[in-house]
Amino acid sequence: MIDQSERLAIIALVLILIGLPIAIFGYQYGLRPALAGVRTIDIIAAAPEDGGFQPDAIEVQKGETVRLRFSVPDVTHGVAIAGLGVDLGHIDPGQVKEVEVTFDQPGKVTFYCNAWCSPNHWRMRGTITIIDPADPDAHRRIEAAPDPVIESLIEREMDIDAPHDAAISPNEPVSAAEGGPLVENYRADLPVDFFDPLWLQRQSPAEAFSVLKETLPNLTDAQRWNIIAHLWTDSLAESELTWAQTEYIKNCAACHGETGNGDGPAAAAINAQLATTAMNNDKVASFAPASPTMGATTEIYYAKLRRGGMGTSMPGFGDIFDTEETWRLAHYIWRLTFAPAKPSPQ
Amino acid sequence: MTDSVPKRSGLNSLFQPRAKGVLLVSLALLIIAVVAVPWPLQPSAPTTRRFTMVSRQFEFEPNTIQVNQGDTVIITLTADDVVHGFFLDGYGVKMRVEPGQSQTVQFVADKSGKFRYRCSVSCGTMHPFMLGELVVGPNTTFGRAVALIGVVAIGVTVYLWKFPLREPGESTTEVRSKK
Amino acid sequence: MNTTRIDLLTKIPLLKSILKSRFFQPVLMLGTLFFFVFAILTGFFGTPAGSKNFSIIYIWIVWWAVLIIVLVPFFGRLWCTVCPIPGPGEWLQRRGIIQKRYPKLMTLRRRWPRQLKNIWLQNVAFLGMALFSAIILTRPSVTAWVLFAFLILGVVLSAIYDNRIFCRYVCPVGGFIGLYSLTATVELRVKDAQICKDHSTKDCVIGTENSYGCPWMVFPGNLERNAYCGLCTECLKTCPRDNIALNLRPFGSDLLVAKGRSLDEAYKAFIMLACALMYSVVLLGPWGWLKGWANMNSLGQWAIYAVGFLTINLLIVPGLFWLTAQAARLLARLDISPRQAFVDYAYTLVPMGLMGWIAFSFSFVFVNGSYALPVLSDPFGWGWNLLGTKDFPWTPFLPQVAAALQLITLLIGLGFSIAIAYRIGRQHAGSDALAWRGALPITAFLTGVTLLFTKLYLG
Repeated sequence: MIDQSERLAIIALVLILIGLPIAIFGYQYGLRPALAGVRTIDIIAAAPEDGGFQPDAIEVQKGETVRLRFSVPDVTHGVAIAGLGVDLGHIDPGQVKEVEVTFDQPGKVTFYCNAWCSPNHWRMRGTITIIDPADPDAHRRIEAAPDPVIESLIEREMDIDAPHDAAISPNEPVSAAEGGPLVENYRADLPVDFFDPLWLQRQSPAEAFSVLKETLPNLTDAQRWNIIAHLWTDSLAESELTWAQTEYIKNCAACHGETGNGDGPAAAAINAQLATTAMNNDKVASFAPASPTMGATTEIYYAKLRRGGMGTSMPGFGDIFDTEETWRLAHYIWRLTFAPAKPSPQ
Repeated sequence: MTDSVPKRSGLNSLFQPRAKGVLLVSLALLIIAVVAVPWPLQPSAPTTRRFTMVSRQFEFEPNTIQVNQGDTVIITLTADDVVHGFFLDGYGVKMRVEPGQSQTVQFVADKSGKFRYRCSVSCGTMHPFMLGELVVGPNTTFGRAVALIGVVAIGVTVYLWKFPLREPGESTTEVRSKK
Repeated sequence: MNTTRIDLLTKIPLLKSILKSRFFQPVLMLGTLFFFVFAILTGFFGTPAGSKNFSIIYIWIVWWAVLIIVLVPFFGRLWCTVCPIPGPGEWLQRRGIIQKRYPKLMTLRRRWPRQLKNIWLQNVAFLGMALFSAIILTRPSVTAWVLFAFLILGVVLSAIYDNRIFCRYVCPVGGFIGLYSLTATVELRVKDAQICKDHSTKDCVIGTENSYGCPWMVFPGNLERNAYCGLCTECLKTCPRDNIALNLRPFGSDLLVAKGRSLDEAYKAFIMLACALMYSVVLLGPWGWLKGWANMNSLGQWAIYAVGFLTINLLIVPGLFWLTAQAARLLARLDISPRQAFVDYAYTLVPMGLMGWIAFSFSFVFVNGSYALPVLSDPFGWGWNLLGTKDFPWTPFLPQVAAALQLITLLIGLGFSIAIAYRIGRQHAGSDALAWRGALPITAFLTGVTLLFTKLYLG
């Protein structure tokens, strides 16, 4: 006969071996979502070589509110959703962060990692497709819209990915600060183009230097470069500058370096990898005032940021930054060239 | 066989309670002295020491840094692969560093000894063991520790020599034969 | 017979009635089984980030610290009393958890090989785990596999052999708990050995109608040392003569019991001491490359590490100690074989090794103990917040106090081990003075070990 105590012990054993798992999984996968009220989407954020975002393609209905819950198994990631102003900041391994988002417009938004997490960090992206039940094709139409700036570059037969080496570049340090007063002094003598933002963004510093050489023959080369430095770095307001600096540090500095010298911690590995491919002279770009940058234009930077460098490791940020933000970053690059800020804003 | 070594009577130790007390008290005083008496080591004149330190899975480079007490230490830390952290035992210095975003910390090394700096942001499997050592010299703590070990080893040995132990239930006089 | 013993059972009748109850062990084991199963579940299904996973934190920090700092030195094999691992196997074997319903155990009744009736297998099992420690300690899923494997192995062995074969001959943890419990301040013994000798039915070995023969295959009447008594309290229930005592006693008592000293135990002492030193170098040292080797970054590097690790454990430390023990034998003019000197003096390493492990454990208990709080609220790293402590930050607690405690612990181990060397010498030496001389080389060895630990922790 089984006595009372034995029966209790057997019940306890069964509860431990079977009841405990049922309670745990029932709470996590049954009760917890039910209590949440909104649809909760669990997303594992792992380095790309370990699967990246899982899942990385999510569909929601227009007007739907969902809770996105990110958990991290390996190393620190940062999670942001482009275009929605959502930045969850760092998520450390074992940490869980969640955000509730309501999607009002049909289309496609990208969520991405913004803390350097692996050599493949930039591949760590996922998409949320917002479908309008009333107009099931709306999101496709929005997605297909081409970028007018890139279209225009292609029309003018500008090769975005070719090297843009210039024949001339400054031999000594350039100072945007000293360029400011010079611009004021020679405002009348400077070609009117120099004050046209559209002209400036299509012009390389080397081209502008050649123009200055003709229009202002009395100046020294250093003074001319200082004028250019000032004009090329003058377009960002203080708040735009802070924004661009932060985003540059988060998204670009790991390769291009904190001061834009192409010497970020990830650069060496990428350079080694590029050396083995056909484009053997290619390297992570340095924005130092030398031949390759003096031949580049803000417009080309914009295009590269937007759609990435074909055949290089430069990822496209078109899904992450809108056009205005992309211009801001493109202009910010000249700051690194002509007026390097102190490393890392604290 | 027992003739060839100095023979001591257990009675001897029984009738020397004062000697035992003297030995124990002097050992205790010696230990207190080793722990508490200031060492006549003057740290050299304080300077500023700068270190550029790289953190990567799962080490710091340099993994050991040596400074003198009173030095101002400036550490610029970069991360090579993923987000790391830096926590310095005993000084409470803490920072988080991301690839492409170096961080600098400055403090005065006013405490001597060995202090471990550890990664404070979980960075992968071996994260709990990612650490380095800051040695603030002269490391009198270690010196005192070595001296204490000497005092204990020699102290116990001298005690056993002067006052042979008896097992419980054993006669207090030495009337033992070999097995 | 012995004046330095206090029988807790006579002093505390309530304790005696608790221990005599059939509920005592199963209730505790069911409690620990709950946490054990929970740890397996968190290990398998929770976050791979060890510092946020219940299994890693509660097994390798909380349980380990309690085991080595509190349970072993003070209570010996008390962990074995409550350990859940043999539970399922034993309950199947007995076909009952609390109540004894069948007179015979349900097993295949195979005989455990005579060659394995020692702790060599436990030495091998411990070394095997130690080689993979960097992997096991940091990966919840691996920890879960190990725990799960123990549970299954316990069940399988219980189905093939009678009694707790796993605990007695296989468990890698049980091996060192047994050796270090020689020092423990608690012991289970019989009150009067003569009563056992005269007792013809030997109920404690074969069992009674309501209780079982010793599952650890120990005859309490012969017990002189703690090593293989699992404190399961079964003999308290079987003994019809009320002859079992649970004594408080001085630290280190069993180290002087000559009977039962053996090479497998001596090697356990070497392995434990060597591992404490190795871990202090590999895990606590600043050398990243070495951690990479231990972490199996590449199989080749790990192989070098493994060979080095095993050489130090099995050859270098025992080899150095062999020389030391022979010096002691010659100085003390001991009339025993070199091998016996080696084995007997090896027991001086027991307090030293235990204190070395305690010192090693202080380093991570103080630094990483704070992980225990958030993990309690969110054991799987799923974002739960059961107790509201989910976001309690990692807070290293007084690292310099830990360093001081490490030194004090090591000094206690050193002093104690030197005295043990002298006392072991007295068991063979012709005089106190000769025993004292014999202790000198051992003292030098122990001092060297202490200096090495101290250099690693404080230098």
